[in-house]
Amino acid sequence: MSEMRPQLVATAAALFAGAPDWPALAASGLPLLLVPEASGGFGGDWGDAAAVLREAGRAALAAPLGETMVASKLVAGARASVQQGQGTLAVATGWLTATQSVQRFNGSARGVAWGAAADWLVAGHHGRALLISTYAATAGANPAGEPRDSLVLDAAPTLVLGRADVLELGAFVRVAQIAGGLEAALALAVDHVNSRVQFGKPLARQQAIQQQLAVLAGEVAAAGMASAAAARALDASRDARFEIAAAKLRANLAVARGVGIAHQVHGAIGFTMDYPLQRLTRRLIGWRSEFGGDAFWAARLGQRALALGGAGLWAEMARQGDR
Amino acid sequence: MTAAMASVFALPPADAVPGAAAVRARVRDFLAAHPPPADPARRVNCWAVADEAFSRALGQAGLIGMVWPCAYGGHARPAMERYIVLEELLAAGAPVAAHWIADRQTGPLLLRYGSEAQRRRWLPGMAAGEIYACIGLSEPGAGSDLAAVRSRAERVPGGWRINGQKLWTSGAHRSHVMLALLRSEAGSERQAGLSQFLIPMDTPGITVRPVIDLSGAHDFNEVFFDDCLVADDALVGGEGEGWRQVTAELALERSGPERYLSSHALLATLIDARLADPAVTALIGSLVAELWTLRQLSWATAAKLAGGDDPVVEAAMVKDLGNDFEQRLPQAVQAVVSADLDGGDDLGRCLAQLLLVSPSFSLRGGTREVMRGMIARGLGLR
Repeated sequence: MSEMRPQLVATAAALFAGAPDWPALAASGLPLLLVPEASGGFGGDWGDAAAVLREAGRAALAAPLGETMVASKLVAGARASVQQGQGTLAVATGWLTATQSVQRFNGSARGVAWGAAADWLVAGHHGRALLISTYAATAGANPAGEPRDSLVLDAAPTLVLGRADVLELGAFVRVAQIAGGLEAALALAVDHVNSRVQFGKPLARQQAIQQQLAVLAGEVAAAGMASAAAARALDASRDARFEIAAAKLRANLAVARGVGIAHQVHGAIGFTMDYPLQRLTRRLIGWRSEFGGDAFWAARLGQRALALGGAGLWAEMARQGDR
Repeated sequence: MTAAMASVFALPPADAVPGAAAVRARVRDFLAAHPPPADPARRVNCWAVADEAFSRALGQAGLIGMVWPCAYGGHARPAMERYIVLEELLAAGAPVAAHWIADRQTGPLLLRYGSEAQRRRWLPGMAAGEIYACIGLSEPGAGSDLAAVRSRAERVPGGWRINGQKLWTSGAHRSHVMLALLRSEAGSERQAGLSQFLIPMDTPGITVRPVIDLSGAHDFNEVFFDDCLVADDALVGGEGEGWRQVTAELALERSGPERYLSSHALLATLIDARLADPAVTALIGSLVAELWTLRQLSWATAAKLAGGDDPVVEAAMVKDLGNDFEQRLPQAVQAVVSADLDGGDDLGRCLAQLLLVSPSFSLRGGTREVMRGMIARGLGLR
């Protein structure tokens, strides 16, 4: 699929620019990007997904596209029939009960993207992925106003899809969106400082502004590389736990450092509802906490480093890159 | 997004290097036979720690001048194999300072601009780890503003007469040769009229005086030239081409692993201290996330350089992000760990050393502000 990536990205970017609704996204086939062609999907790889989701982040696309991509892949991977309609991803707490004919899940999930609107979801539970279609939802929202709903799963009929870390795959989606969102915030900031005149010259001519935007550009580079390198690790068909943890934590850090700079150089103009910066920064603020905030991934990655030891940490990073 | 911006960091993650594991094993075997200092305080910032015996052994093992042609004592290996050797040496804290500049900068510059005679005279000894070089750029009045260089070379029958002063010259006291940027056209200003010269350090009229840094170490020097006479062939590359040559030289060496690994020994020591404190575990996690990302950025840039491209802005970003990381690392450890800086234990000694030397990380090789100015230019802001 990689040879088609530039075309795929261009198509996605053009589609996202028009703020498509779910039927338009579904018609594009992008929700099935990661589903093998034999199962009726696009047959794309993780690198393709990261590239498309980066465009989604850049466009501040308000839809559970990445969630549905990942969920559809997990469904297809279990040789279950691909689900139609809008899907989503959740991390659930609760317990699974099996009767002779059917398995049922009792529990709950919080912060589920478009949970109420979704027709089905894949829930992560103790390292397994569960396909569930029946649940009650209470509306919630992230700082961008995107639905982040609380779900109650009451003896919900459940299909166990197999082993998968849904939290990790959700984090992978958010890293790509963060990379794109920060990139778009930088682009807005550059355009703004080039056109806004104060003290008799464009803001861009002020060294203080130049230095700040150089820092933001570095964070854009770091988040972009984190996303692409995590995709590369997943595409190498191996355990990518280390890389995804590092990528989400680094992307979160980029949000922490980058959002403030994008706003600062915009002045009050960027703080308004009318100006497009808020569409990006409100999402970035939310994405940092979703599918594992800094504390979660720092603890997980820190424990991994402690298990590896000082020399073992380097050896492990080198080994990953050499494969 | 503007066209200029799209190219700010558009490099893909680098592919794995064929045979990488074997190259790493070779370096690790070498390090087992020639172990870095046991004291972690001497493994930090290890590319400023010189050990000539180590450099000679490394040269004998074929791990210096790796990409240079065999005719000049090199080994004609791919650039990415050299990158692997560098990162393995730095991650282990090996004392590589003696030969570092010759291998990284002077040798490649001679291959690019030097004459056949210059290459034959200097490169074999450099690749053997026996000939060391220093870089004569900064002067009392020319720091970040390198174009303010005033030291001069005047044509005399059969050669050049050199007068002036260089400052902050790392390793001049153990170097055999200096690659100096000098004003070769009388009355010229700024970037014009500059040339690069290769000056043997035993040339009569050279005086090297130590400048002791705040940690008590002798790395810096001031170097005086008093009517030094050098032969015609001391000129490297074109007369008056010095500015173009030196900026190309600097751009090629901003993104190496030495730009983010200078504090690595402290991270490894902190991990091995096993402090069983959730705040320390979290700090380790976040430092590892940055380390992993920087390695990807540095690799991607190195792969681009190996392909013959010149990713100036990307290289400046690697240096800026990497220097920020390696400089912030000891600060972050000091904030979270109750370490005694009295020299009594490995972690405290390593931390104290880095707290002292890390301010230099964002100064050497072009300051943070200069790097960010280059990135801003890449963004189209200047």
